Amino acid sequence: MQSMSDMDWGIMAPEWVIAIACALLIVVDLFLKNTASRRWIGFLSLLAVGMAGGWVITQFRHKSAMILDGAYILAPYTLIWKIILLTGAALVLLVSLGQEKKEYEPHEGEYYYLLLTAVLGGMIVVSTADLIGLYTGLELLSLSSYILVGIQKKKNRSNEAAWKYVVLGGVSSAFILYGMSFLYGLTGTTHVGEIQKQLSQVGSSYEAYVYLSFFLMMVGFGFKLASAPFHTWAPDVYQGAPTPITSFLAIVSKSVTFALVLIVYMAYAGPYGEFQEDMIILFMIMATLSMIIGNTVALRQTNVKRMMAYSSIAHAGYVLVAVATGNQILIPIVFFYLFVYLFMTIGVFAVIALVAEQEKSEDLKAFAGLYHRSPLLALSMSVFLLSLAGIPVTAGFFGKFYIIMGALELNHIWLIAVMIVTTIISYYYYFAVIRQMYFRRPASSDPVRVSWPMKVAIGISLIATMGIGIMPQFVLETLQSLLR
Amino acid sequence: MNKDWFVLLVLLPPLLAFLLMVAGRRILSKRMTSLFGVLSTGISLVFSLVLLVSSLRSGVSLPDWEFTWLTLDKKPIQFGVTLQPLNVLMLVIVSLVSFLVHIYSSGYMKDDERFTVFYSYLALFTFSMLGLVISPNLLQIYIFWELVGVCSFLLVGFWYFKPEAKRAAQKAFIVTRIGDIGLFIAIAMIFAKIGSFELHDLKGAIEAGKLSSGMITLFAILIFIGAVGKSGQFPLHTWLPDAMEGPTPVSALIHAATMVAAGVYLVANTFWLFQASSVAMDVIAYVGGFTAIFAATIGIAQTDIKRILAYSTVSQLGYMMLALGSVGYVAGVFHLMTHAFFKALLFLAAGAVIVSLHHEQDIRKMGGLWKKNKGLGWLFLIGCLSIAGIPPFSGFFSKDEILLSVYANGRYGLFIVGVIAAFLTAFYMFRLFFKVFAGSHEPKTARVPWSMTGPMIVLAILSAVAGFIQFPTHFLETWLITGGMKSLHGPESIAWIPVLAVIVSLLGISLAYLMYGVNKWDSRRVAQAVPWLHQCLVRKYYVDEMYHSLIVLPLKGFGWLLQVWDRYVIDGLVQLCGWISMRVGKIGSTLQNGQAQTYALISVVSFVILIVSLLAGRLFG
Repeated sequence: MQSMSDMDWGIMAPEWVIAIACALLIVVDLFLKNTASRRWIGFLSLLAVGMAGGWVITQFRHKSAMILDGAYILAPYTLIWKIILLTGAALVLLVSLGQEKKEYEPHEGEYYYLLLTAVLGGMIVVSTADLIGLYTGLELLSLSSYILVGIQKKKNRSNEAAWKYVVLGGVSSAFILYGMSFLYGLTGTTHVGEIQKQLSQVGSSYEAYVYLSFFLMMVGFGFKLASAPFHTWAPDVYQGAPTPITSFLAIVSKSVTFALVLIVYMAYAGPYGEFQEDMIILFMIMATLSMIIGNTVALRQTNVKRMMAYSSIAHAGYVLVAVATGNQILIPIVFFYLFVYLFMTIGVFAVIALVAEQEKSEDLKAFAGLYHRSPLLALSMSVFLLSLAGIPVTAGFFGKFYIIMGALELNHIWLIAVMIVTTIISYYYYFAVIRQMYFRRPASSDPVRVSWPMKVAIGISLIATMGIGIMPQFVLETLQSLLR
Repeated sequence: MNKDWFVLLVLLPPLLAFLLMVAGRRILSKRMTSLFGVLSTGISLVFSLVLLVSSLRSGVSLPDWEFTWLTLDKKPIQFGVTLQPLNVLMLVIVSLVSFLVHIYSSGYMKDDERFTVFYSYLALFTFSMLGLVISPNLLQIYIFWELVGVCSFLLVGFWYFKPEAKRAAQKAFIVTRIGDIGLFIAIAMIFAKIGSFELHDLKGAIEAGKLSSGMITLFAILIFIGAVGKSGQFPLHTWLPDAMEGPTPVSALIHAATMVAAGVYLVANTFWLFQASSVAMDVIAYVGGFTAIFAATIGIAQTDIKRILAYSTVSQLGYMMLALGSVGYVAGVFHLMTHAFFKALLFLAAGAVIVSLHHEQDIRKMGGLWKKNKGLGWLFLIGCLSIAGIPPFSGFFSKDEILLSVYANGRYGLFIVGVIAAFLTAFYMFRLFFKVFAGSHEPKTARVPWSMTGPMIVLAILSAVAGFIQFPTHFLETWLITGGMKSLHGPESIAWIPVLAVIVSLLGISLAYLMYGVNKWDSRRVAQAVPWLHQCLVRKYYVDEMYHSLIVLPLKGFGWLLQVWDRYVIDGLVQLCGWISMRVGKIGSTLQNGQAQTYALISVVSFVILIVSLLAGRLFG
């Protein structure tokens, strides 16, 4: 066993950067006068995220390594996960900084460093292969998110959302822990690699427990993914949370949970893949339900954030289709989709935040005539929505295209059919927003004010969404070559 | 020196200008806008010329480059650039005319409120057209082909508050779309057959004999249908005269010099495909020849200055097709180039006439402009002499080459058609010239600004001298057929053909002079002598009316039937689908009652159902 001082702690530098920044900012916030502006704490957080991201990029040259007895892994896939998380966090921070009137005014300092702890939790999850590490990271992320959702203490809706999120989140954590405990009981270890070895030997004699543990965990993960039938919390929470936090939940929390699903799935996949088939069926059921429920219920929503919650449920379903194909080759496609999803979703939420702030309404009608007020903003929103809908030739289209091609190889015809039909249904509600923006008269003719951090966030999202749409092969090949 | 990336400096400035103008359409002043437009196309022009020089110097085609955009079913779909001499020549023509038209527009459009919008469309068009002429594969060609179509639509309908302009824009879009369908089917079939969009792959497949001759003919004719639509060949020519509702600089750039020549370019660019099928060559030659004479006769009886030029364009494009169909590759491309110069000149001059006569377009109300504006008269005259084919103006040389190719190819009937069309061309052009400039009439004129005169002078010089790149040395030919096109040497010249052409043109001019210059013969009496013929020509052979009664009305009736079917059967099905979706959505949302207990219960119940069903499936399955 390595001694603590021998270990190459340097490979954990990105996590250290975030942790140290977080600790410093907490102390600074404590000593700052109540009336002082906390805005620069946000910029420092952004700086920390940027530094961590830069460091992660340099680590691609580092060869794969493990420390802490394999509890912390540095490998290309952990780095890509971290890039997704940090990009998402950076954009969420930009959107937060760009809001003119903060929805969480007296707690602005806390808001920023809680975002950092949440990201830190996510980074721990994606870079560990130990049940303890996974659980701790997940809880760090979840607990920070609970507070962030309820940070507007004076708003009833926000309080209700936070309360539901805590209670239901607690239930899901219990499921996950219960499932993990079976796994530990069966194998006597918490390390995923070890578990995999053990399960392939003893698993067949304890089949019921193996399934039970997996199903229990998947209930918990399904909750965190906001995938049907465990999605029920999402609409209320997405609607009640401050808009940037909603996008954080949709992007960062979801991505982290997908990482978790893939890691845990590895434990069961084993060399012989005895359990694989039934697990894939579970993924397929969840994917189908998510796509159907997400896309149909979204049709009836008039609150844009609530609509986006259902859209996000549907998108979890699409990614689950890729996961359900259970094929290592499809990992780059999952990454590709999450990247695409990240940019288009942040873009949509940034525009929602702007419009909602100006119109004091999150209703669909707030978007009426946006084209006549701020044509560029409406145009960007259209690009994001078209991409979410998966209209060719956008980034979102290629995301779905690759998933369908992957599923086609494994002959999951009915899954593809569901995906295509529900995608077509989804056009209806995405186009409802576009229709409002272009064909309805605006209530006022003043252009929407867009602060510069918002401009940066929307600009980056727009360029990325269009760029990936134009050169999808390049992005996919880059991901593939990084993972090789 | 590696000049690969120079082509990006040709392509990107107009795109950049377009984006800038769209972004800044509220803040950019007219001055800034025109400056951006002129500057961007100027940069394009400079680098096109650099490419031209290096292409001439290297003697062979410049290196191509491509990158893979997508992999479809293991077949790479690529984007790239190809710089054969033909592509480079087109780059120069497009960027040059576009540059001049950008300058001209700053004068012509100066009072228009939507000045910036106009310039942004022009810039987008320039970008698309440049992209079209360097595309190495059919998919890319198709994308840019449609883009120029969209720009043409936007610009024809630029004055959308005029109902004629709106209708003309729609017509232009729909009629060319008919041709585009042919092209699209060709592209789809080629991809299905050889698994690639690349032109060199198609060429390879033909050379290797992988395609049956029937297949080749089919591909060639489908591609030609696309060219017919774009280049206004009979029977899809009807949109082009109507497109004259657009601003005059647009007519000069898009509907005379560049976009309408895209069809000719497409045929020239895939010439090896057409050569492999004698049927296809016949089709091109006959369609081209017929269009040339058909449009020329209509041109005689029109009274709108721009429409006369439009029919002349259709007729000249027919000439180019005729040349290509008679294996006159160089002759067709040569005429494309000279035509771009003199027809752009004529349109710009017509625009100047229209401006100076306070937006009058009817030539019956014109006359005596020569006395008022001699400079403009000379410029217009140079254009007319060039198109009529009087030496030493450029039109003479290119038309001579075409007639020579047709004769050498043994198509004597079409040769006679070509000669008659040449006579008609000279006649209607000088009818136009005398109507506008001759006469004792003293019109009140407005001043023509320098920004409009300058580009015309440049084009006039080019129209006058451009012929000499092919005479006395066959410089253009030597350059164009470097690489794999050695077999396309033009025929040896025959002395009596140019003499005949000049005599015929002079006859046409003299006739026009007698009828309209000095009014020796009363043109109305001629028209009254054969009233039915005159009426037939004025109504353009009733082609539009025929389309209306043969195609539009039956289609409308059919459409009505379909509408009934659609409204009651299809719509019912759609409503049903929507209703089911909504229903499912409703069930989903009734579960969403806001109670956290219910939410948790749903999760637990789902969990139990899932695990029970799967275990049951395993036990009994």
